[in-house]
Amino acid sequence: MSEPQSALLLRKQLAELNKNPVEGFSAGLIDDNDIYRWEVLIIGPPDTLYEGGFFKAHLQFPKEYPLRPPRMKFITEIWHPNIDKNGDVCISILHEPGDDKWGYEKASERWLPVHTVETILISVISMLADPNDESPANVDAAKEWRESYTEFKRKVARCVRKSQEECL
Amino acid sequence: MGNCLKRVTGNQQDNTTLLSNNPEPNVSTSGSSQEGLGPPIPYNQAAYYPSIATRERHLQSTNLNIGRGIGVNLVQSTGSAGLSEEEQQVRIAKRIGLIQHLPMREYDGAKKGECVICMMELQAGEEVRYLPCMHTYHAICIDDWLLRSLTCPSCMEPVDAALISSYHPTT
Repeated sequence: MSEPQSALLLRKQLAELNKNPVEGFSAGLIDDNDIYRWEVLIIGPPDTLYEGGFFKAHLQFPKEYPLRPPRMKFITEIWHPNIDKNGDVCISILHEPGDDKWGYEKASERWLPVHTVETILISVISMLADPNDESPANVDAAKEWRESYTEFKRKVARCVRKSQEECL
Repeated sequence: MGNCLKRVTGNQQDNTTLLSNNPEPNVSTSGSSQEGLGPPIPYNQAAYYPSIATRERHLQSTNLNIGRGIGVNLVQSTGSAGLSEEEQQVRIAKRIGLIQHLPMREYDGAKKGECVICMMELQAGEEVRYLPCMHTYHAICIDDWLLRSLTCPSCMEPVDAALISSYHPTT
């Protein structure tokens, strides 16, 4: 059997991102032989606490992509209300279609098959700039972000510094 | 933005289709076979999408679809939530029945178009599904999606709402 469509679609995106890189991140495969596992490097968005940081993350696509979303996990340590302490990213667009465990997400806020690596990363970058503290994945970070912002900033700054050292 | 914390919350289902909120949907083609099944089953409890039947029909009706479109066989076994296979089949059959009310035609190739699901250009002769919002996709791509979520991937318009308003029962 020839390559599944999910692989073709991901290959197409990889080629497109190599040809026309998008500002704010770079993307490639963890292993050149596995199109379903990507490694991305996100540049901390300017004018945010994460500015100057280089955050590595992995995307794991299911064979059913684009009907089902990938999972995204930060490998670089990062302190953020919507990223849990293991690095797993919690944003609604990465939640399965029809999956409404939490009771308040509209279908339109969840995964759609038109999402690409680029649109996912744009959402994640915008989440870095603008955390959503109503649905935290890291409760401690969310609490700090709300109640002791100075401490929150200090922790983020430490992650940024660490990410720079790891990148060298 | 979703909450990934593990906790129990309400079970409001915003994606429960409008159809299943009706006592008995007008578009139902199966009639009495649904009696005794109890309340509509929330979509997210069934993670079993055997779209093989529709796909096989596509393949029989045109050879052009072979090798094109996102045709993934979706047989999953996660959390059937106590549904018997038969009940799931009925649910899926109902949804397939609904999807088949959406117009499908062979693409005439007059205008250039792309299926944004598989990111391939639409080719003349391929079967294309027209959603009520006027967005078009390869039938094989969008049908698998609609089994999961009755939402247009481009504009997020609920597909079933538009279908109900356009449907006229014949009896």
